[in-house]
Amino acid sequence: MEIKSLKVDFDETKAIIIEEISRNHKLLHRHRLSQPQIHIGRDYHNDIILADPHICPNHLSIQLLDEQWKITDNQSINGSFIENIKEKKHAADQHIINDGDVITLGKSQLRILFSDHSVEPTVAFSPFESFINLMRHPMALLLSVTLFTLIAGAVFYLNTPTEVNFSQLLVPTIGMVLGFALWPAGVALVSHLNKHDARVMAQLGISFAFFNLMWFSDLLEGISTFNSASGSIIPLLVMFSSIALTFSLFWLNSYIGFHMSARRRIIVAASITMLLFGGSYLIQYSNKPEFNPRPQYDATIMMPSFLLAPSTSVDEFIKESSTLFDKTKKEALKK
Amino acid sequence: MAQWSEQLLIGKQMKAFFTLVFIILSSSSYAEEQAEQLFNQLKPSLYQIKLIDIASGEKSSIGSGFQISDDGIIATNYHVISSYALHPKKYRIEYLDHQGNKGDVSLQSVDVINDLALVRRDTEQDMPYFQLSESTPKNGEQLFSLGNPHDLGMIVVPGTYNGLKKESFNDRIHFTGSINSGMSGGPVVNKQAKVVGVNVATSGNAIGFLVPHDKLINLYQAFLKSAPESIEKQMAEQLMASQNKLITTILNSPWQAKQLGENGIIPIIDVPFIRCWGDSNTDKTDALILTAVANCSLDENTYISSRFFTGTMEIEFRTMQAKDIGANKFYHLYQQQISRAGAGNRANKENVTEYQCHHDLVMPDNQAITNKSIFCTRAYKKFPDLFDVLYLSASIDQETQALVSHFTIAGVNQENALAFTRKFMEAVSWK
Repeated sequence: MEIKSLKVDFDETKAIIIEEISRNHKLLHRHRLSQPQIHIGRDYHNDIILADPHICPNHLSIQLLDEQWKITDNQSINGSFIENIKEKKHAADQHIINDGDVITLGKSQLRILFSDHSVEPTVAFSPFESFINLMRHPMALLLSVTLFTLIAGAVFYLNTPTEVNFSQLLVPTIGMVLGFALWPAGVALVSHLNKHDARVMAQLGISFAFFNLMWFSDLLEGISTFNSASGSIIPLLVMFSSIALTFSLFWLNSYIGFHMSARRRIIVAASITMLLFGGSYLIQYSNKPEFNPRPQYDATIMMPSFLLAPSTSVDEFIKESSTLFDKTKKEALKK
Repeated sequence: MAQWSEQLLIGKQMKAFFTLVFIILSSSSYAEEQAEQLFNQLKPSLYQIKLIDIASGEKSSIGSGFQISDDGIIATNYHVISSYALHPKKYRIEYLDHQGNKGDVSLQSVDVINDLALVRRDTEQDMPYFQLSESTPKNGEQLFSLGNPHDLGMIVVPGTYNGLKKESFNDRIHFTGSINSGMSGGPVVNKQAKVVGVNVATSGNAIGFLVPHDKLINLYQAFLKSAPESIEKQMAEQLMASQNKLITTILNSPWQAKQLGENGIIPIIDVPFIRCWGDSNTDKTDALILTAVANCSLDENTYISSRFFTGTMEIEFRTMQAKDIGANKFYHLYQQQISRAGAGNRANKENVTEYQCHHDLVMPDNQAITNKSIFCTRAYKKFPDLFDVLYLSASIDQETQALVSHFTIAGVNQENALAFTRKFMEAVSWK
């Protein structure tokens, strides 16, 4: 009867929220309790039952006394410890709880929040959301994958110097599609392992849409290289656009797969992009021989329909080429 | 390519080739008698020339030489002493005479184009020496080549004078007689024991090449007038003069327009020292692209060191016609064909810079073709104002046919390289 009356009398504004969190502070369970005394432990009498074997059956209790919550450790074997931003980690017994304190007991952690704990402002749906929803639609996904397959098949066909039939193209093409599908599948797996929603379809849809955009940017890069003389900046600009595409893909992958702050997401996406482009540049650089007896030139040629730029005259070409003599001569004088 | 490779007669590996030499020596007893008489008479003025690596104390290359003055001037090939000419601190040059006496010699003058060098040994008194002939031999005249093949000892090889090699820009005597590695720099004499040439190269099967004696006379007389101030500078001047002579001759010779494939017009330079070869794949029924290739090149090069040759020139034309494939695929395969052009001469980091290239879309004034043209050059480090150039041009104005024109020239100056490039670019077109 006494307990009942206590419950009735309990001031709802003093309700307490106890969160079970993982070691890296990810939320596992959340309890909201409106009672002045809470028992935490491994046996089934407790208000919060924890399965951790390092926790005692009757590990600790917290009580509301004079408007304050106080921890009592019931002589547990492994002890209870308090951790917060203000103080060093110390024993939790007789500690007066502050909003946001984390109690470590056994190998588990509990975060205590008061009901007046302020929350982050609401995040509006980003415009990407509708794009992602479009791309994860089975029809859109089918369309992207089909387009990718067709392009991959065409690239294989165009670069094979001998006559090829359909089945000879099919195997490498399917291999390539599966190979590229590994990336979104991998991201989905990692986000699943991190207790996030896997969202495989969204990852696949976005990734293949971007892979197709990258084919397109490759084509643009080819056309611009073909149509410009050496030293032109247009191919460089197009190359930046492909770096931007890659960054966007990684950004969206992490947007779909992981909850993280906007700043962190940009850093993650930028790092993976850097790793990819910087890494491939490093590999090229380390494979570079000390002296290359072969000339390194751009041999990009395309069929006449892609020829957009006007041609220069022989005079102009000879004039431009003549500057190379001074450049190499300077190089020769360097010891 | 049906070209044979000429081996320089430098003896780096000692392999025993007794048989070959003895077969020739016993082929004519009359010749043998005469040869022996000549040999005994000339022996005191014949030397083996060795390059000794100072650090290891061992020989790094060997050749032959012969004395041409009473005060100790010995003639040999440039390529016998080339390592010394380029790295005088690393090597010393040593002579070995017929009695087994050794001594150091000093490098006096070189002719890198004709592969000749003059060295001097110290003499205490006037010594016997070879007389240089005043006249050129007649075709079929019997000559005797002397030298020390493969470090086996001095020998004499009889053979025949067969005139000057026709395809050669720099004169070489075609000598039918077996000359071998290590005989480089040895003299070739007529029956009067007068020098008419210097052993320089062989292409095997008793076909040998000699530097004509007048080149040696020119070098010696120039040396008597004034000794060169530095060997490297002398070489640079000779290379510069030689490329001037070569490119001027080529630019002033007729360039004949010739059809290649169905529609290509290419220039064939009408000079005997540039020889052309052709090939096509019309016999391959499964080929996706019909290709015809014409390949022209200078048949000689200038030896600077075993890792650096210059003075080469190659010209290549290629027409391609798509068979049962579309323009897009044709251009993909076409691009693979032109993406790996390389230098025409051997050169390393010590001697040249890396290539730098320029490319653009070019249409000559006759508007008969649109090309993607690539021009690359690298500079020589030891010989200022000389370059290797490479040009590659691919037609990009026809849907399913292509014309590729390409050349490389080694050891040329800027003015000549650009003059040749301009003339070449304007000579290639569609019909």
